[in-house]
Amino acid sequence: MLSRPESKLVEVLIIRHQAAHYVAANKVFWSQLLLLLLALLLAVSLGAINIPLAELSRAVVGAEQASQSSLIITHIRLPRALLAALVGALLGISGAVTQGLFRNALADPSLIGVTAGAVLGASLAIVFAGTGLSLVMGLSVVSIGAFLGGAAAVILVYRLATDAHGTSVTTMLLAGIAITALAGSFGSFMEFIADNEMLRRISYWKMGGLDGASYPRVAIAGAIGLPVVLLLPRYAVALNSMLLGESEARHLGIAVNRVKRMLVLLVAAAVGVSVALAGTISFIGLIVPHIMRLIIGPDHRVLLPASALAGAIFLPLADTLARVVIAPTEVPVGMVTAVLGAPFFLFLLRQGRQRG
Amino acid sequence: MYTRRQRHSWSALASPAPLPLVLCALLVFAAVSRAFAEPIMVRDFLNRQVSLAEPARRVVALAPHIVENVFSAGAGQALVGVVSFSNFPAEAQQLPVVGSYKAFSLETILSLRPDLIIMWASGNGLKALSKLESLGVPVYVDEPATLDDVARSIGDIGRLTGTEKTALRQAERFHSELAALRARYELQTPVELFYQIWHEPLQTINGAHIINDVIELCGGQNVFADALVLAPKVNIESVLQRDPQVIIASGMSKARPEWLDQWHRWPTLRAVRDGHLFFVPPDLLQRHTLRLLQGAQRLCGQLASVRND
Repeated sequence: MLSRPESKLVEVLIIRHQAAHYVAANKVFWSQLLLLLLALLLAVSLGAINIPLAELSRAVVGAEQASQSSLIITHIRLPRALLAALVGALLGISGAVTQGLFRNALADPSLIGVTAGAVLGASLAIVFAGTGLSLVMGLSVVSIGAFLGGAAAVILVYRLATDAHGTSVTTMLLAGIAITALAGSFGSFMEFIADNEMLRRISYWKMGGLDGASYPRVAIAGAIGLPVVLLLPRYAVALNSMLLGESEARHLGIAVNRVKRMLVLLVAAAVGVSVALAGTISFIGLIVPHIMRLIIGPDHRVLLPASALAGAIFLPLADTLARVVIAPTEVPVGMVTAVLGAPFFLFLLRQGRQRG
Repeated sequence: MYTRRQRHSWSALASPAPLPLVLCALLVFAAVSRAFAEPIMVRDFLNRQVSLAEPARRVVALAPHIVENVFSAGAGQALVGVVSFSNFPAEAQQLPVVGSYKAFSLETILSLRPDLIIMWASGNGLKALSKLESLGVPVYVDEPATLDDVARSIGDIGRLTGTEKTALRQAERFHSELAALRARYELQTPVELFYQIWHEPLQTINGAHIINDVIELCGGQNVFADALVLAPKVNIESVLQRDPQVIIASGMSKARPEWLDQWHRWPTLRAVRDGHLFFVPPDLLQRHTLRLLQGAQRLCGQLASVRND
């Protein structure tokens, strides 16, 4: 059995060996930060209405309070760009964590049942909370139902996969699939018993999107999302060791079960809040971590923050395109994320193969 | 056989015959002509020929608006099956339900022994059509897209159920009252209008929607008539940019939706500044039935009040 310093050593040796292939992590981090700023700037300056740059800067500085353009920028575009960045970051980092945790390249954060649970929670809220869906801090009862539904599904999946010997990720994966199917059929049943009005509400909710962005929602996403994004990288070393296998990680001194529990909880919170605030946005959680892995390698210490930043860059950009490409009509953002991301991912994949 | 019978009847007509015999012949002729009457032939919205030997007595209608139109055509008593949400007129709620417009039970439909099924192409989908056809039940496929189509549907249903007179009278009244509204309002000062179906996502209609026909009839101008899809999700910025004079919300029920007042966040909008945030219950505008007339009257009145302000 290796002691802690020795495990660190193994870690460093593995990473050193791989590092030669990949772009230096530092350079990636700073260029990502720059790109994030550019993406946010783009998201704020482009829209259905053309706002000249001069007016834009005045609005951002806050020199001009009452004009329509400044209202559009501060009350429509800015909260939407911020929400997109936060949700993108949460989905990106949760995807990287899930793939590491399950040691499965096809894992995405919805795998542990959180998305299906959230959809069911929202449907239940729509059908049973009645028409007086009051607002609590800009959050509807439906969003709260979605968050609770997502959380309940994850807890159930986790319980199912845990016994005296610990948590089995394989069981968790299968339980996640089963719970997703179960929640899906309960959801269909809700749609079956819903009246016409509720049915339309449910289908509107499922469409999701970032167009409901407001500062209270940004605040909620930040309050739950930022701690998650900051906490998850603390488990990077553990995730690296777990890539070798769980018993190997245990021998390297990782408290595997505790780590798994924390990771599942954090991912559930992250995905739960993003589904509750922006509906289901597919693709980012699956592909963004893969893209970053191809660029900077599989070391979770770099991969986790890089995936968060990449998600935060990618979603505002996709959402901006969704808003302007056939303005005034908005395209579903999930469509844009796939159209933009898939070719880029395939390009990187081919490059990687040629490099060997 | 045929020629001989023909010759007989000719001879009967040619030679003077006693009155009772003539009366008898007339009675027989009436009976025969009823049995061998011209079948009822109607072309449906898919341009299919629907033929019935005699007026339908047991009708199943597979969409709420069809149920409403069957009642308007004067054939409500022939309905034996409806789908869920068939809530108008009140009598429709007493009828057996065969499922929803999206998921209905073929077995339940057949157990009602219908002699005519009226489908809704875009709602029911056409998968069920071939199955129902193969079972030998006549199917009329409805797909109204314009105001004129509503009148046509009602007329067709009337012919298929033998209530043509009532149906045509209703269709005629619909036409003439719409024409009256059109004559009064269509050429008045145009009022720029935003029709809001829902707030999250912000959804409206484009120029191809039947509601747009009503808007134009009232002299309104849909600010998103140019959008690419029938019911587009639009950006709130573009609403601010197009600055409508009036916002008409439909919502989901008979009550004015709460979210209509969220527009007060944008006091510079003309519609907000002048207090022109109105509501028309969706059933009056979004169903292809005679109640469109009520919706049109209400909308025209609201636009007139905007012009007068």
